[in-house]
Amino acid sequence: MTTGSPHLEARPPGAGQVVLPPAASFLAPADQLRILSGLSDPALSEVGLEELLDEVLVRVQQALDVDTVAILLYDPETHQLVARAAKGIEEEVEQGVRLPLGQGFAGRIAAERVAIAIADVDHADILNPILREKRIRSLLGLPLVVEGDLIGVLHVGSLVPRTFGERDLAVLQVAAARVAPGIERARLYSALEREHRLAVVLQRSLLPRELAGVVGVGVAARYLPARDGVGGDWYDVIELPHGLVGIAIGDVVGHGMRAAALMGEVRFALHAYALEGHAPGRTLELVDRYVQTMRERPMATAAYAVFDAETGSMTLATAGHVPPIIFGPTRGGVIEVQPGAPLGAFPYGSCPEHQLTLASGEMIVMYTDGLVERRGTALAQGIEDLLTMVRGAGSAEQVCRSAMGGLVPPEGLDDDVAMLVLHNLPVPAQLRMHLAADPGTLADVRRVMRRWLRERGADDDDVTEITLAVGEACANAIEHAYSPGPARFELDATESAGDVTIAVRDTGRWREARGENRGRGLRIIDAAMSDVRLTPTSTGTEIVMHRRLRAV
Amino acid sequence: MLADVQFDVYEQAVVCTVTGEVDLSNATQICDAIGEATPNTALGVVLDLSGVGYLDSAGIHLIYRLRENLRARGQKLMLAIPADSPVQDSLRLASVTRHLPIAPSVEKALVGVAPPAASPKDSDRDTPQGEPAV
Repeated sequence: MTTGSPHLEARPPGAGQVVLPPAASFLAPADQLRILSGLSDPALSEVGLEELLDEVLVRVQQALDVDTVAILLYDPETHQLVARAAKGIEEEVEQGVRLPLGQGFAGRIAAERVAIAIADVDHADILNPILREKRIRSLLGLPLVVEGDLIGVLHVGSLVPRTFGERDLAVLQVAAARVAPGIERARLYSALEREHRLAVVLQRSLLPRELAGVVGVGVAARYLPARDGVGGDWYDVIELPHGLVGIAIGDVVGHGMRAAALMGEVRFALHAYALEGHAPGRTLELVDRYVQTMRERPMATAAYAVFDAETGSMTLATAGHVPPIIFGPTRGGVIEVQPGAPLGAFPYGSCPEHQLTLASGEMIVMYTDGLVERRGTALAQGIEDLLTMVRGAGSAEQVCRSAMGGLVPPEGLDDDVAMLVLHNLPVPAQLRMHLAADPGTLADVRRVMRRWLRERGADDDDVTEITLAVGEACANAIEHAYSPGPARFELDATESAGDVTIAVRDTGRWREARGENRGRGLRIIDAAMSDVRLTPTSTGTEIVMHRRLRAV
Repeated sequence: MLADVQFDVYEQAVVCTVTGEVDLSNATQICDAIGEATPNTALGVVLDLSGVGYLDSAGIHLIYRLRENLRARGQKLMLAIPADSPVQDSLRLASVTRHLPIAPSVEKALVGVAPPAASPKDSDRDTPQGEPAV
């Protein structure tokens, strides 16, 4: 570790200034050194910069018996000294005094890296008005240097005339030598802290705030920054038209703010192309073309899948990304998918698609390599460990918990990690749903109804017509639901030997059809179902309807 | 996103293409959006429902309301719905098929809205399946 030893040169001093010769040959008095010795306490490097500076000021003031002590830190971006901490002249810091390098007392110390003593301030070229106003008579200052780099200036002042000598300089030099590396460390640390905090905020704001809720599909996700900062891992859940769900995961190589920002760009590009309705392979190809146009073309990988909860079918494509795993009550393993090239890797890369079906209860787990990569362990082993870890989990949330708990050591990982789990929730044979009386739930009801009907053996016509009838009954319940709190309604569906019975109960009164347009809902129900009965209940209205499935 | 709506504004007609699902949650918004997108100078609107996978009674109500609104402005409405569309099932179950001006394609629906010479595609001059609303 180098010290803040000033290079002393024989330059003509300003009026009243003395450039002091090297003090290395002088020994500071033992009691003064004792006061300063606490500064080398390694614990100081861990505390914040403010506390460290405060500690220095107090000890230097005591050791040299001076009225003022000030530390100015060098800002390399503006080439200025910024008053950072002061005792006796606190105004310096409060007013945020900034001094140009090369001019004035502190500016010269910094620019020339020499220690300077001024016996009588009135006659010196003092730029800083605060030093004048305080009627400081004498000054002694020296540069703070770490490994050849200027980091600031430390100076002391006296309100009574005093000739600072070489012994005083020796004491100040010891203080500077001990504290300069600490300041540098603390400053680096707080800069890193700030960068880390900002990056975490950025990363969070670029990831989906909450996952789109899709009835019949369980979704959970995690993002974990690396031990020393965020990276470019991301995930996304996209609600697509026609009741489809898109799930995506990706990794932009790099760390910190830059990677987080690029990650955001790639995620938004994929989200937008996905909403246009492109299939997974084409979506990734379009993202690839987009990445090709980025000025700072990142190294990136991604996987994107579109899931149809109604049929359980999934289309998956990957661009240089680790393959997802699938598991459920009867199987578990890596999805063998022919990978496309990483995003932006070479012009006109193509992404082959892979078709699979998630059986009722099965889950797919997408993740980034940070989760399964361990130094000295094969990737395949990491993936095997992941499978073992999540095998018994009963929900998407539980999978995330098990994987993070089992694969992430307490001290964190070198790389950031993202994971996303989709669970094809089983639809019970006896279906009972409690729903908010909100038109937005109609699409969810249809999705669950279609799936339930298919699992009962309904054909296309059955599915279309029964879903329409159920939709009409639910729409009516929503329009007429009335309750003091948030209005709700319920739906029961049962099937026995091809006979489907569906009941929808609301908390309002069935409104009689008004005009030609309003009667159509009931007309659709009557046409699609048989034995339709509308009954007032104690809380509202119940509509019960039947239909015999044609194929069963 | 349950449904998307796209507009192609031609000189004499607006072709409005709806894709996705239409129900109580978005029918009114779609109807209003079409009204907004139709200039007074247009002779009418072609509502292309061939990309719609679900349409409930609120969606049917949308069609009637749109037709009334346009009629008040002296404009026509034509629907483009292929025979195998799920929308046909909804219209059939509600027994409204024969009351609505339906053509199997946008091209044929356009002929019903604008005179053949003014239609953007004049290659197809077959008469539409339903009668244009006047």
